[in-house]
Amino acid sequence: MLQSYTYGDLDNFTSQKRRTANDTNRPVPQKPIAKRRKKFRVFSKGDGLDLTFFLLVLGVLIIGLVMMFSASYPYAYHKYDDSYYFIKRQLAFAVIGVLAMIGLSYFDYHHLHKVAAPALAAAWVLMILVLILPSAGEPGDPKRWLNLGVFSIQASEICKFALILFMANWGSIYYKKMKTIKFGILPGVVVLAVTGLLLYMEPHYSGIVICALIVAVMMVLSGVPILYFGIAGGGLGVIVLLMAVTGKLTYAMSRLDGWGQALEYTTPEMWQTTWQTRNSLYAIGSGGLWGLGLGQSRQKYMFLPEPQNDFVFAIVSEELGLIGAIVILSLFAVLVWRGIKICMRATDKFGMLLGVGLMMQIGLQVVLNIMVITDFLPNTGISLPFFSYGGSSLVMLLAQMGIVMNISRSASLEKQ
Amino acid sequence: MGDNFLSGIKKRSNVLLILLLVFGFGSIFCRLFYLHIIQGQALSERAIDQQLSDTTVSAKRGSIYDRNGNTLASSASVWKVILAPVYFEDDKQREYVSKELAEILGMDYNEILQLANKHDSYYQTVKRRIESDERDKILDFVKELSKKYQRLSSVIVLEEDYKRYYPYNDFAASVIGFTGSDGQGLSGIEYQYDSYLTGVPGRIVTENDSWGTMMPFEYQQKEDAQDGNSLVLTLDETIQHFLEKNLKQGIIDYKVAEGAVAVCMDVKTGEVLGMAVENSYDLNEPYEIADESARKEVEKLTGSKKEERTNELLAKQWRNKAISDSYYPGSVFKIITAAAALEEHAADLDSTYFCSGSLVPYEGVQEIRCHNTAGHGSQTFAEALCNSCNPAFMMIGKSLGAEKYWEYFQSFGFNSRTGVDLPGEATGLFFQHDGEPEGSMWPTDLAIGSFGQGITVTPIEMVTAVSTVANGGYAVKPYIVKQILDSRGNVVETAEPVIKRQVISKETAATMSQILEKNATEGTAKNGYVAGYRIAGKTGTSEKIGQSRKPGQEDYIASYCGFAPADDPQIAVLVYFDTPTGEAYYGSQVAAPVFANIMSQICPYLGIEAQYTEDEMKYVDTVAGTYINLGIDDAVAQAREDGFEPFICGNGDTVLAQVPQAGSEIPRGGRVMLYTTNDSTKETVRVPDLVGYTVEQVNEIAAEYNINVSFSGSVDLDSVYSYAQSISPDEKVSPGTVVTVYFGNNDVDDTVM
Repeated sequence: MLQSYTYGDLDNFTSQKRRTANDTNRPVPQKPIAKRRKKFRVFSKGDGLDLTFFLLVLGVLIIGLVMMFSASYPYAYHKYDDSYYFIKRQLAFAVIGVLAMIGLSYFDYHHLHKVAAPALAAAWVLMILVLILPSAGEPGDPKRWLNLGVFSIQASEICKFALILFMANWGSIYYKKMKTIKFGILPGVVVLAVTGLLLYMEPHYSGIVICALIVAVMMVLSGVPILYFGIAGGGLGVIVLLMAVTGKLTYAMSRLDGWGQALEYTTPEMWQTTWQTRNSLYAIGSGGLWGLGLGQSRQKYMFLPEPQNDFVFAIVSEELGLIGAIVILSLFAVLVWRGIKICMRATDKFGMLLGVGLMMQIGLQVVLNIMVITDFLPNTGISLPFFSYGGSSLVMLLAQMGIVMNISRSASLEKQ
Repeated sequence: MGDNFLSGIKKRSNVLLILLLVFGFGSIFCRLFYLHIIQGQALSERAIDQQLSDTTVSAKRGSIYDRNGNTLASSASVWKVILAPVYFEDDKQREYVSKELAEILGMDYNEILQLANKHDSYYQTVKRRIESDERDKILDFVKELSKKYQRLSSVIVLEEDYKRYYPYNDFAASVIGFTGSDGQGLSGIEYQYDSYLTGVPGRIVTENDSWGTMMPFEYQQKEDAQDGNSLVLTLDETIQHFLEKNLKQGIIDYKVAEGAVAVCMDVKTGEVLGMAVENSYDLNEPYEIADESARKEVEKLTGSKKEERTNELLAKQWRNKAISDSYYPGSVFKIITAAAALEEHAADLDSTYFCSGSLVPYEGVQEIRCHNTAGHGSQTFAEALCNSCNPAFMMIGKSLGAEKYWEYFQSFGFNSRTGVDLPGEATGLFFQHDGEPEGSMWPTDLAIGSFGQGITVTPIEMVTAVSTVANGGYAVKPYIVKQILDSRGNVVETAEPVIKRQVISKETAATMSQILEKNATEGTAKNGYVAGYRIAGKTGTSEKIGQSRKPGQEDYIASYCGFAPADDPQIAVLVYFDTPTGEAYYGSQVAAPVFANIMSQICPYLGIEAQYTEDEMKYVDTVAGTYINLGIDDAVAQAREDGFEPFICGNGDTVLAQVPQAGSEIPRGGRVMLYTTNDSTKETVRVPDLVGYTVEQVNEIAAEYNINVSFSGSVDLDSVYSYAQSISPDEKVSPGTVVTVYFGNNDVDDTVM
């Protein structure tokens, strides 16, 4: 299906008009891709998947599933009379996700050029639907989920990917004009503003933070001068200030309020607000150097609310200790590092921007999540990739890993 | 690859990656290190604090048994309902839970809501001591609640507790005592031995989840509660019952206003076999006024007056008169004066005393009259005691001397507590004169003190002092707890009898016993006599000077203290009626018959062998044998052999029925009706009026009416008359039925001051 394209014009895949001189400078592979595919091996240093990366993904995924199960079963048993309630679902999504990952590793990511803008538009539509459709939660609860009957999806997960895709696409097309405000700054600011507004209405402030960071990373990667970020940062400060003044920060403020004072008792209301953070800290502190042992967490017995979600790593810390936590986080670091390294082998800007962006997203989410559970950042609801319970998030993550694998696979092919 | 732009992306990717790893991951590593290692100890302590529930396990309070193992007090599990309002999220939940709880516990909704509104509290006691049915309902509700609102699953907590039960209700109430709302002993043995009974509460430290339910497979550290020790009392349920039953009857018969006391003591060991204090109250409801008329009186009052009066009545109700009330002992105290005089050789059996009806003890003092205003004439020492002659005792007291009187007052233990193991023991009071040393007496003091006026004693002191005379002169320490058992029933401690000192010699004691026995058979104390049981005793009547219910009114205390058998005394019994308001108020009229009834029940129960005089033998009850199913001749022979006079009714060959039934007790020579046909049993006779006759007369009437008589009280004297009968006159009974007839006399024993 890719025969009609050669690698040389992949950068200009979306628009014939925007061909550049680069095309002529680039060595053009002669063989059609179908012919090379026969040489494909599943894993190899040559033209297959990057084995190290694949194993890292699987490793993190499996550890994540085990830990999520360990953290969730008392709560699952209490709430659903079924210890396996969460792990059963998560396992199903993991299988779907892994299949999607492997499938996408064969799917030429260059096709994504075409869908970059529509994907973002679709993500926005989903987010609007989230706002419009009646939600399952009680009035006043944030609206973040799109209920699809069998399962619900978090629209912002799709949006994050769409943002990376869009920015990678934009950057690969207008890489030369990145220093201009019109091409370098404006698109990023516009998509972020729209996305941010939609997230703000849910509200989902941590989503705004993540999206902002993603867009910023993508802009930096694309070559937008650092100077602008200083200006953007100032602007952000002004926005936050305005929100604070209008008093529409109630939900966020209730989360931010207890920030850094989870351990001190002030009022009963505050004690309730900081309950989750406090018990997360208790769990981490209880872990000590070596931890209480796998499955031995005490904080998961209803002290730490919803231990399967954002705060799953607190239970990891409690059970596996500092050593376990560092090992797991190092695995994440290696995964991100390896992912970025293999994406750097990409021969086109789009692939490289997309791949690095996707890996940076994981790295950022890990760091932010750990900062939240350690009360380093306010409790805002950032999930831990591969660990936190959530089908749409897990499938999206694995799919993204599939894209990264495809980028590495394509790069290997390219080199031959 | 010469693409500048690609290498630019790579460069920036590397920079971002390094920034992410160094600053992002670096900072979270540092943060984790800080929390895990630096703060780990503090955080884990706080975590453990909330995970471990440190529950106090109530120790089960020990039981109280009588000497034969009957349970007088025991504890059973109950639960305390605790509300933790901190878990409520809104007022709707508060109202809902309060409403449900109010319904289950039958409490006021607003009362519970008030507790529920204490926002930051983890511990509000809603109700104590709910029993298992209410507990089950609460548990169901909690289950339902935690399904409905997750946070509310630990809003209601049940703590185990114990409730005290007193199976005999008002039985031995002032001895046993009761416990307060926290299970602490408040009176009686419950108070005195509280530290033994309480035990040591245990702890269960469990790892609990946020709802307070136990985590699976986690550790649990249990420090078992050490249940309290149980107590075995010296009290004998049967003897106590005899005392209480007779006191109750006495209170009714003699319209006793201020209560009564009866104490039965083992004279050799000091073991208190029974201590009855009436009016009593139900230990299960100690805060309810037991006396009906008093309760009605209080119910009419309102406000602080009601409260005041209630507290006053409750204090009175809980008071153990046997140890807390001191009274003028009156003539009973003559035992002490006499014993001291004999011991000090201030008098001997040959001494004679002349009573002209009154005596001026010292010149210039008003004469003191004897109860026999005609005078007792010349009397020996023994006769003086049997006559309870006050002038004679003033003379005896005078020859004993004030110094010795004080010495023996102390020596018999009257101005120091006996040390009985009950709370609130009072002490008797000696004469007191301002500015003079303790024990100093004025001449008139000695005069009235020698017959038991002017000084006060407590009932327990009196019975202990009489025990000293009975047991050969030893002052023993009365005690009520015989053994302390651990929770498994093993004996931990056994009380040993304590002999404090020898007060009088064996010889003096033996002489006193003889005189007192004589007194009980022939003297003023003869109404306390029980045939066959060699009772020794002394009556007493004293006016409650300055303590009467209304000023100017004459209120009395009637008492009797005696022991048996006189030749080898085993038990001493004191009977004391405070303020009899009927016609009879003398000790000989009021206390003596009750004493006799008590003794006639206790002595056989304790297996004290009856020793009858020849005269008494005639009236001694014998157990009827079984004559049913025997041939007529055999039955008649058998009945004769048993000492009865058989009568045959009907014309059958075999005995089909008999009256009295086999096992009944009738006097030797009594009639046994042997029925040989069924219809012959339908025959009845009318019970005659048997009150107001001598023993002989009663016998004659009984024979006439064809019934049997069982004699109770002193019967070997001409001066006794029947005063009661067990079956009312004119009732229809089978021939041969046994009617118990009570004998006594109406002699007045002594003067009252």
